[in-house]
Amino acid sequence: MGGCVVSSFIFATARYESGDWDSAPLVPPNIIDTIARYTSIDVAPTGVVVPLGSPDLARYPLVFLTGHLPVRFTRDEREQLARFIERGGMLFVDDHNHDIDGAFHKTATEEIRRTVGPLTELPNDHPLYSTFFHFPDGPPNTGHELNGWGDNLLHKHLLAVQRAGRIAVLYSNKDYSSEWGYHPDNKRFLAVDNTRFAVNIVVYALTR
Amino acid sequence: MSAHARVTRTRAVLALTALLASLLRGAAVAALVFVLAGAIDWAVGLERSARVVVVPTALVVGALVTFVSLWRARRALKLGAVALWIEERTPVLRYSLVTALEPAAAGAALPDLERAVQRAHWGTPVARTALFVLGMPALLLLAALALRSLLPAGVVSRMETPRAGDALEHPRSAAVAGANRLTPLVATVTPPAYTRREAVTLEEPSSIAALASSGVRLEGRGSAEGITAALGGEALEVTGTAERWHVIFAMPARAAAVRLAHGRYSRMIVLEPRPDSAPMVTLASPARDTVFREARGRLELDARATDDMGLTALWLEYIVSSGEGESFTFRSGVAARRAARNARAATLESTLRIDSLGLRPGDVIHLRAVAVDGNTATGPDTGVSETRVLRVARAGEYDSLAVEGAPPPEADASALSQRMLIQLTEELERRRPRLARKAVVEESRRIGADQARLRKRVGDIIFARLGEAESGEESGATMPRPSMTPEELLRAADEATAGEGAHALDFEGDETPVVAVNRPLLEAYNAMWAAGRELETGEPGAALPHMRTALAAIMRAREAERLYLRGRPAEVVVDLAKVRLAGDIDSASASARTPRARLSRSAAGRVERLDAALIALRTDPAAAVDSLALLRVDALAEEPRLARELAAAVDSLRAGKDATTPLARARRAAAGAPVVRAHASEWGGAW
Repeated sequence: MGGCVVSSFIFATARYESGDWDSAPLVPPNIIDTIARYTSIDVAPTGVVVPLGSPDLARYPLVFLTGHLPVRFTRDEREQLARFIERGGMLFVDDHNHDIDGAFHKTATEEIRRTVGPLTELPNDHPLYSTFFHFPDGPPNTGHELNGWGDNLLHKHLLAVQRAGRIAVLYSNKDYSSEWGYHPDNKRFLAVDNTRFAVNIVVYALTR
Repeated sequence: MSAHARVTRTRAVLALTALLASLLRGAAVAALVFVLAGAIDWAVGLERSARVVVVPTALVVGALVTFVSLWRARRALKLGAVALWIEERTPVLRYSLVTALEPAAAGAALPDLERAVQRAHWGTPVARTALFVLGMPALLLLAALALRSLLPAGVVSRMETPRAGDALEHPRSAAVAGANRLTPLVATVTPPAYTRREAVTLEEPSSIAALASSGVRLEGRGSAEGITAALGGEALEVTGTAERWHVIFAMPARAAAVRLAHGRYSRMIVLEPRPDSAPMVTLASPARDTVFREARGRLELDARATDDMGLTALWLEYIVSSGEGESFTFRSGVAARRAARNARAATLESTLRIDSLGLRPGDVIHLRAVAVDGNTATGPDTGVSETRVLRVARAGEYDSLAVEGAPPPEADASALSQRMLIQLTEELERRRPRLARKAVVEESRRIGADQARLRKRVGDIIFARLGEAESGEESGATMPRPSMTPEELLRAADEATAGEGAHALDFEGDETPVVAVNRPLLEAYNAMWAAGRELETGEPGAALPHMRTALAAIMRAREAERLYLRGRPAEVVVDLAKVRLAGDIDSASASARTPRARLSRSAAGRVERLDAALIALRTDPAAAVDSLALLRVDALAEEPRLARELAAAVDSLRAGKDATTPLARARRAAAGAPVVRAHASEWGGAW
């Protein structure tokens, strides 16, 4: 073991060579706001952008990746992501398109399969849904899933690659990137904060 | 013979010579490539993957040389070129031959030239040239063949027909007394006869994975004298000839290791028995338990079975239990049966006449499918499906039963999308003139029921945003703003959506933000209500405009809420002090986490052994690798993941590769589940 101990949780967004990695720039501050709002986790006030193909990836326990466009990882990105997962990191991928069989979905899931392993459905009673807030029906729905296509209009499950009993890659077709993509100050307009699920993801990543 | 005829004949001789010479050159080069590769194999031993390409490479190179040689000799086909070649070697002709063949002279009588040509003879230079041109490649080919004959027979065989296990045929470069006879080592694994699989040959195996009771033959070079073998604690007989030793045993039922020893050399091979899996059996029909009102009718049966090796039989069996209280009687039977003839998958479809079972009210049928495989070595293995329970209702419970007679499979119960509902409605409208009014109303209402379900799902989303997770439509719960009930909200939505639907999502008038954000969905919701009303009254044509409006609104909501930013927004720095713990955490109900379970004694022992082996890797790598292999043997039964990682680590270490990753995985697997702490842990970065 080695390396310096990082005391603050820093929310990291992955920058990858293909696609539009920065399609949801307001999601990180919104999640940071949510973490501070509900927990005493020592969180940094701003997030960071970390290249997916950089060894620095392993400095962060949770890395967020989103986009609309087709994804094709470079060799470095594959290697570093595999190393990151192998050593206990957690990658949270959200399809900003929310389309089943959309361009991002097809390519991102294929890249994840090649790099880490196949995604499988995460049961809706998984500990992720009760790590902090309790979501008895699994992942909270968003208003961005009614696309007229798909298996059941709403995506019933999140997908995941699990390693040694913990989630290594969490994949969402829910389009949380759109659902959470607003300035944190605008939370006052919501009767119920729709970013609460982000607390579960962060707490899960830090404690499992 | 005329000059033209003589030159033509000479051309034929030269062309044939060029052809033969090219073929000889190609063959000689191909043979030299083969001999060169054989010499390298003799000296250093080539991998099988390299030897496989030697013969094709030699043939390709030989063909290329032949082609190039022919290309260079193409001038031998031209009469003019041949005539010049003859003039060059027969000075007495003084260009009379070339002149006689010129096109201007063709057909004309040139007796002087013909006479001059007749006096000249060029047979000798042609023969000399042919001998020289053919002689060189022929000598080269003979030399290559001679060199090939000098190669040891084993090398030639390895080059001509490379195959798994031919490592034993490689000749020893030097006969050294006391040389290690445990390498090269070849294992031949013969699966049990019932599997009908072919034997597999492995070279230099560190582990052997095969079906239990498979025949295993380990073979090495040299005599058996001085070689010992032990499987577990029992010695194995090592026999053979002066050239080859071998040991034969059966794959044990449990993981074990074979130890081979020869003087100061030793070698260990891990045996991984793979059990023959029991058949997987599914009872597809009946799909669920159910209750019959009367013991009559027919029951469709459908069973499916699969097996990794092969099935021998599949049948459906039943048990009928009758009685109540403490008095029960049982009888059993087979409803249907089929032979599977060693197929890996089989289905059995049949019909059971319920009245043939003589059932009475209260009787219960327990139905299941059973399959057996063809395992004659350790089996046969039997697989059974879930048991379905079918009960005949008693007369006194007719009014209290909730019978789900033939529920559809899950896949058929999935909800329909708005787009699919429109297609169904359009199809119904097309068929409407040919259908009776009653049939139209029935089908229209079925679509209306699906439309209502879809409307509820849309409503759930809208109400979930308003703070009601579900069932907001039915409960009519209070809204965040007490002044607005759901009905008021929908009225507001009606007003908001009364105009053109494609407005931008700006707040208009006194709209609440919730109404503004959800306007397209509310419009869809209202249109679904209208469509549902029309469908309920059996008017699919009138419902279609509303359904299309709903679809357009859904699509608009989708487009409107998908944000594509055209510039980078200013970086948001969250004021942590302001928002810290300002959220409502009353609804937080994190489940209690349990502390990590203490490792079992055996698991703790494995961790200690692994740690010791890791430390020993620095000082005594060979012993550490053996320790890891032995640890793997122990872990195979209880911790297959640890065993798998250890196998990768041992293979990497034996191949001289970096084994950090598999060893890290093995250490993680040995230590059990991840640590669960009661608080957020510090992240120390990657190690």
